Amino acid sequence: MTQPALTEEQTEPRLQPPSGPVIAARSPWQLFRSRFMQDRIAVAGAVTIALLVVLALAAPLFKLVVHRGPNDLFGSTMLTKDLGLPKGPNGRFWFGGDTVGRDVFLRTIYGLRTSLTVAIIATGLASLIGVVLGMIAGFRGGVVDTGISRLVDIVLSLPILLFAIGISSVCSTSPNGCLHGLLQPGLSLVIGIIVLFTWPQMARIVRGQVLSLREREFVEAAYSLGARPSRIMLRELLPNVVAPIVVYTSLIIPANILFEAYLSFLGVGVPQSTPSWGRMLADASSGQLFTYAWWMLACPGAFLLVTTLSFNLVGDGLRDALSPER
Amino acid sequence: MWRYILRRLMWVIVVLLVITLITFVIFFVMPSVDPAVAFAGRQPTPEIVAEVKRQFGLDHPVWEQYLLFVRHLFLGDRYGWPGLGFSFASRSAIKPELFSRFLITAQLAVGAALVWLSIGIPIGVASAVRRRSLLDRAAMAFALFFVSMPVFLLGLLALWLLWFKWHLTPGTGYISVGTNFGSWLGHMILPWFVLAMLFAAFYARMTRGNLIETMAQDYIRTARVKGLPEWKVILKHGLRASLTPVVTMFGMDLGSLFGTAVVTESVFNLQGMGQWAIISVFAGDIPTVLAVVSVTAVAIALCNLIVDVLYAYLDPRVRYS
Amino acid sequence: MMGNNRRKLSMVGLALVVTLLAAACSSNKNSGTTNQGGAGTAQKGGVYRTALSDFGFTGGFDPTGEYLGLAWDMFSTMARTLVSYKFVAGADGNKLNPDLATDLPTPTDNGLTYTFKLKPNLKFSPPVNRAITSKDIEYAFERINAKPLVAQYGFYYYGVIKGMDGNATAPAPISGIETPNDSTIVFHLTKPTGDFLYRLALPATAPVPQEVGKCATKAGDYGRYIISSGPYMFQGLDKLTVSSCAAIKPVAGFDPTKKMYLVRNPNWDAASDSLRHAYVDGIKIDVDSNVDDIFNKVQSGALDGSLGDQPPKTILRQYLTDQNKKKYLHVDSGDRTWYVFLNTTTPPFDDLHVRKAANYVMDKAAIAQAWGGSTSGQVATHIMPPTVLSDQLGADFDPYGSPDHTGDVAKAMAEMKQSKYDTNKDGKCDAPACRGLVMVNRNVAPWTDTEPVVVTSLAKIGIQVKPRELARGAAYQTTQTIKNQIPVGLNAGWGKDYPDAFSFAGSIFSSADLVATGNPNYAMIGTTPAQVKDFGIKVPPGWVAPTVDSDIDNCQKIPATDPTRVTCWAALDKKLMNEIVPWVPYLWANVTTLTAPSVTHYEFDQFSAEPSLVNIAVNNKEKLGS
Repeated sequence: MTQPALTEEQTEPRLQPPSGPVIAARSPWQLFRSRFMQDRIAVAGAVTIALLVVLALAAPLFKLVVHRGPNDLFGSTMLTKDLGLPKGPNGRFWFGGDTVGRDVFLRTIYGLRTSLTVAIIATGLASLIGVVLGMIAGFRGGVVDTGISRLVDIVLSLPILLFAIGISSVCSTSPNGCLHGLLQPGLSLVIGIIVLFTWPQMARIVRGQVLSLREREFVEAAYSLGARPSRIMLRELLPNVVAPIVVYTSLIIPANILFEAYLSFLGVGVPQSTPSWGRMLADASSGQLFTYAWWMLACPGAFLLVTTLSFNLVGDGLRDALSPER
Repeated sequence: MWRYILRRLMWVIVVLLVITLITFVIFFVMPSVDPAVAFAGRQPTPEIVAEVKRQFGLDHPVWEQYLLFVRHLFLGDRYGWPGLGFSFASRSAIKPELFSRFLITAQLAVGAALVWLSIGIPIGVASAVRRRSLLDRAAMAFALFFVSMPVFLLGLLALWLLWFKWHLTPGTGYISVGTNFGSWLGHMILPWFVLAMLFAAFYARMTRGNLIETMAQDYIRTARVKGLPEWKVILKHGLRASLTPVVTMFGMDLGSLFGTAVVTESVFNLQGMGQWAIISVFAGDIPTVLAVVSVTAVAIALCNLIVDVLYAYLDPRVRYS
Repeated sequence: MMGNNRRKLSMVGLALVVTLLAAACSSNKNSGTTNQGGAGTAQKGGVYRTALSDFGFTGGFDPTGEYLGLAWDMFSTMARTLVSYKFVAGADGNKLNPDLATDLPTPTDNGLTYTFKLKPNLKFSPPVNRAITSKDIEYAFERINAKPLVAQYGFYYYGVIKGMDGNATAPAPISGIETPNDSTIVFHLTKPTGDFLYRLALPATAPVPQEVGKCATKAGDYGRYIISSGPYMFQGLDKLTVSSCAAIKPVAGFDPTKKMYLVRNPNWDAASDSLRHAYVDGIKIDVDSNVDDIFNKVQSGALDGSLGDQPPKTILRQYLTDQNKKKYLHVDSGDRTWYVFLNTTTPPFDDLHVRKAANYVMDKAAIAQAWGGSTSGQVATHIMPPTVLSDQLGADFDPYGSPDHTGDVAKAMAEMKQSKYDTNKDGKCDAPACRGLVMVNRNVAPWTDTEPVVVTSLAKIGIQVKPRELARGAAYQTTQTIKNQIPVGLNAGWGKDYPDAFSFAGSIFSSADLVATGNPNYAMIGTTPAQVKDFGIKVPPGWVAPTVDSDIDNCQKIPATDPTRVTCWAALDKKLMNEIVPWVPYLWANVTTLTAPSVTHYEFDQFSAEPSLVNIAVNNKEKLGS
């Protein structure tokens, strides 16, 4: 007959609490934070993002200072007399005017709001859908997995641009948009299209992660303790999947800003009254306008570069901090 | 292995059916451009519109049109097999046109893929090996620049600078390989690079990240201790493991490749499928759109299949799941 | 010091004189004359290489059906008609001349019978190689009359020529067309039609050899192997086998998605054709989806000229400012009006005062600037361009004028105060009907640049619009579907079909022009109560459509040779602007073409409003094999 193993508590006498400083173990969160903070470049990226967000939120304040808005036309001063070509930077208009005489710099600032809104909301929604479906697929396996995986296959095989044009055209021609007014031409439609076509990537990645984690001991342990599947998914799997999700999300955000640019280039982006970088870049490209009005390209282009750079640096930093080099 | 492949091939057919069904729904059930009206000219009388509708086969109920389409696709129509119908715009058979355009798109896609793999992965490896060196920083800067550049912008800028201003490359258009190899190459180089840059940058970063992670594993240390030369350690052991996610990524990128190729084809006037599809969507030439969508879906599904088979070959664990 | 200043002053003075001289010597851009001419400098030979972004054919380039203006320019190379034009610019280019016929007949039988005699030595191109007879012209009308061949402008002939109603199931002899011998053809009309001769200059009436035409049983088929009667033919047409219908294949030289290459028609008799010089040995039209690339190629000399597409402002600017390049810039009148339409069935535009206010407030100068300034056209002050009215009604008739065309807000508000939609009489529309109006627009320049101007202008009188930017086809279809009842649209334009104002004002303002889909009468002028029910639209209670039906009928009764006909149309234009107000016309557009130095003689075809392919000459040494 075997004796149950004695626990440590039973074998050793109770010790007095030690005097002097306590060396406490750091939680994973604290470890992660300190590692991230040490990566100067990633921190710089994060700070830049924070600044951009502040700038985006503060955009309407600009209006109070300069007494003009992003949609105000200044054709008489900012367009050449005969051909109506835009005029370049001057004291008032830091980055000149665009093809209708609007303030390029102001539109770029407002465009930051649009691009960030689209990217963050679209990425957020797509990630949510992707994570949920990916986790369920990876964890459940079997028919559910097959079903979701096949759905992912189908959406990945859809010709994105064709469908984006098609859906957008369709939803623009009826006076009330699609889905009973839920998808109006403009911001909501662009977000809808981006979400529709980007959730599968996240689902695939999460599913892959869950598949490999599923066989690990801690999951087995949770099972044997009688935990329900949903609890396992939430409490055991999710924290371990967070790392790639966060990294991927930070890298997808700039990609979605570019996606919006593609849609604008094809003529299915947001309407003119909502400034967006994608639209501004597309306008600067049409008719090779950038060969003449370099400022129409430089301003949104520079901001786009900085934003993308920051998100990518933060993404890299997150990845390095979450899974450090040993 | 063979049963796996066979099952996936069946799946390709299912994907084809689902995607064409979705296309039908978007373009027929909620049309923005009624093809019968679009191709009936200016100020058409209702009689003319009805006649055009009849000639285009649009006077049947939508579900009947769909079934007819599926039947033609698998069994062929009067123009041959697969039955892709006739284009509303050119009033002639789609099949021969689609075939020649598919070849051009394939040339663009394959060429670009070769370019970005041969640029992106070596740069990623070099960056990973020489971490935080000047080479690494420069390479990552290059990668980040191209990752934030929309393809259409890159294409237009490149064309304007390299062809129009500096006369370094031949202009737009497509010259077939048979006509003149040098001319063909000259015309394809710029589109290849423009299309490849975005992916090259992405793959460089990804390879770098994966390789860094892999190189930190224990078995790499073991390999070094065993006395293997460093390059063998990196290439034989490190790279093989870090390439599996690259392969997965490649599979997913094929879908977006066809999308980005559309823009490249338009800018460089390469008469590929993408350019044709875009024109057809705007014109309301639905049979052409359906044909391109079908062929693209099958091509992507097949490519994904090949990629998955490769993946299974590289990683034995996957085979048995 | 003094010497330096004096020298400087004299240099400045010299520069001024030179500039003034140059300005005086450069031709008036809006008069429709070309900058380069002189048949003496033209020589034969070479190949004219051009490109366009998209053919855009709606009828597969089948002459029986094709209704696109650009296609008519191409038909001038291969589809001669009984009467035709000189394919030159200006008023001379809008005059009819005999082409296949020996002369322009005057109708007999009170305007009901037209008799034509054909010139000798007219032959079809290879592979048909035989004489063109009157039967071949009659066959063309049989094709127009056959329903399956979808003659898109068949309405010009149905009910006009006896026996033509568009319902024939296949081409069959027409009772109203007689061919007593091979060189005579007689048309019997059901009612006097003053502009009938103009209708005989349209490509659908060009002769078609029955032995080939009978094989083209579907609309669009014949477009791939048109047998030519003109100076040029498709490359590879001579290799076409016509022994049986099954043997006929589309010709190599024409692919609607890629190119149209034309070579000389060996059977064309230059002596019989005084209208076409046919200088070049071949014509290459390629499709280039990158529009800017087309103009880059013209600049680099890889192409000889542009066709159909308008140059981007950046390139236009270079040609306008560089003295060496200026002569390669050609600006001609397009005989076309661009306008903002106002739908009279939708509030608040059902109120005449609101429509007038919209006309007063519109900043047309800014719109013209967005289009490209004076090169792109003239600010439109009424419905029809002066050239279509033979200059009887010029730009000085400007009922809603303002200083420099920037819009008169005060007058607009005064007009608005009289409207029922301005409830508090402050000069601004404040009823709920004034908000959230869908405004359809296209999604490319220059319409996208025009949009903010229109939105801002209308906002000044309290009308808030929601712009929707759509691709070309979708934009037009949305506005042209009556059921949609789109209140206002920015993308509307109208060009003449032939140089008689009937094809302009007469074709878009009558109740007969209203069709459920493809409707050009956006403003819904002349809608009858029965039509309101038929189309299933909602109209404000007690609404009566403004109508000009009787005015159109009156003008149409006057024969084309009578000068009072034009005066009648001019009066209609005045009535439309003063009492009906269906539109805010904003631009009488020009067609801008860029050529390369290789073009030794440029000509503009006023009829199709495109560069003339049959009268252009180049000095490049290119060759195009058959």
